[in-house]
Amino acid sequence: MGYINTIIILGGISVVAALGVAILTGYTGLFTFGHSGFMALGAYMAAFSYMQWHIPFGIALLLGGIFAGACSLIIGYPTFRSNLTGDYFAIATYGFAEAIRLILNNLYGVTGGAYGFTGIPSLTNLPITLVVVAIALFGAHRFVTSQYGKNCVAVSQDAVAAQMMGVNILKTKLISLFISAFYAGVAGALFGFYMAYLSPSMFTLSRSSDLLAAVVFGGMQSLIGPVLAAFILVAVPELLRFFTEWRLIVYGALFVITMIFRPQGLLGYTEMNFAFLRNWYQKLLKKTGPEALAGTPREG
Amino acid sequence: MTDPILALKDVTVLFGGVRAVSNVNLSLQKGELIGLIGPNGAGKTTIFNLITGSVRPASGEILYKGGPIAGKSPDRLCHLGISRTFQNIRLFPQMSVFENIALGLHSQPGYSVLEAFVRTPRASRAEKAVKNRVDELLAVVSLQPYIHQRAGNLPYGLQRRLELARAMATSPDLLLLDEPAAGMNEDECAELVEMVNRIHMEMRYSIILIEHHMNVVMELCRNSRIYVLNLGEVLACGLPGEIQNDPRVLAAYLGVRKSRNAVQ
Repeated sequence: MGYINTIIILGGISVVAALGVAILTGYTGLFTFGHSGFMALGAYMAAFSYMQWHIPFGIALLLGGIFAGACSLIIGYPTFRSNLTGDYFAIATYGFAEAIRLILNNLYGVTGGAYGFTGIPSLTNLPITLVVVAIALFGAHRFVTSQYGKNCVAVSQDAVAAQMMGVNILKTKLISLFISAFYAGVAGALFGFYMAYLSPSMFTLSRSSDLLAAVVFGGMQSLIGPVLAAFILVAVPELLRFFTEWRLIVYGALFVITMIFRPQGLLGYTEMNFAFLRNWYQKLLKKTGPEALAGTPREG
Repeated sequence: MTDPILALKDVTVLFGGVRAVSNVNLSLQKGELIGLIGPNGAGKTTIFNLITGSVRPASGEILYKGGPIAGKSPDRLCHLGISRTFQNIRLFPQMSVFENIALGLHSQPGYSVLEAFVRTPRASRAEKAVKNRVDELLAVVSLQPYIHQRAGNLPYGLQRRLELARAMATSPDLLLLDEPAAGMNEDECAELVEMVNRIHMEMRYSIILIEHHMNVVMELCRNSRIYVLNLGEVLACGLPGEIQNDPRVLAAYLGVRKSRNAVQ
């Protein structure tokens, strides 16, 4: 039971962080390799504030998230001001994450450096993880369906047109980045309180790329896709343990096959909503109602 | 004469060594509809980019409602009431028709990010108001049946109309239409003329129209002025009839024969 517990908790933590990446990459169209850094910031801040300032666990989680969000603006403001997008932004975030890792590695006094941050109580358990995942998913859904979320999508699809429609691109991207880093920070804090130990080597590029993979694999402009993908990407390697060395090959093959047959990701552009129900309802109306909706387009 | 809503005074735009727009003077009264024509590369779209803030003038002044606007960002100008459509349609293809228009209505949401997370009654009310306004705008361009379709899936003519509705969503005072009839056949052009006329009459927008379809421009601007641009300079300005008979305009469009019986 403990083993399944571990998988679900680690999967849940990964889901929270992936939700953050989904908001930034999936909805705002900014690829990031920096979320391991934001997770590290959240993890260390939460653990530090809990141990040194004795603040409650829940508030420590929030504080970790807010701290990560605030730090994300340090990289966000200059890069967005100079209009870095696509690969350039991704590389900038990668550099930022590496810088954070190295700073944590060298701040012996505060973080314990490479020896790690020890003595953190193990507070994250299954119910807490599930509650945080539920709140995170609910909040993210509210955000992406709000007017702010629509602005994010507009910026990702056509920044020029979005700006002409009055969207402040800089502000939209910063909000998106802040929320995204906040999610990563909370996920990192949960992680720290689960492992009861933190070391900078836990937050390397591979963690960022796993999160990015979850979003690309799960689908752009979708929340439910990355959630499932993030969980699967944690669970599948565990479930495939009987394959021993072959499991990573299966893992990789799954990726390649998915990308070939569904380049938009598993659930790309599928919002977690019930639009299909509405469409059915309208079709029903069309059959019975006097006025046919959605008739043939009037094109010459 | 009252103050014009928009005035360009001796505006010059340089792209490296190229004078894309050179000493252009142009003015537009409130509620007026003027045309802007000229051969390809004459600088028509650059003038639109100037007015909407995506290109900065090298010299000269742009006055909007009496105040200078050069150097302001496009989103600021949008909130001041300038809106445009694009020559090559720039919709948000993955968003629905509804969302495309809604975006213009709420580019500055009336509630905070935190309120978005918990969706307070205020946020819900704002969403509701947006919905009603979108329905109104869709009625103007008769696109209601397509409200839930993805914009990228609409046929070309309807995308043009959607772009027009989206431009109107920001409730502009000044509307810039960049080749709204591009790629349309005669019937569609007639429909467009009728629609632009109706919008102009009902909404009292001031409109500048770039167009290559001569009958569309001549029809829409029959009571006002047409500016003819060539190589970045204003070549002529006047009523459609005057423009059509201006020798310089004919020379710019058709070229001049190098013999004695030149077009004169």
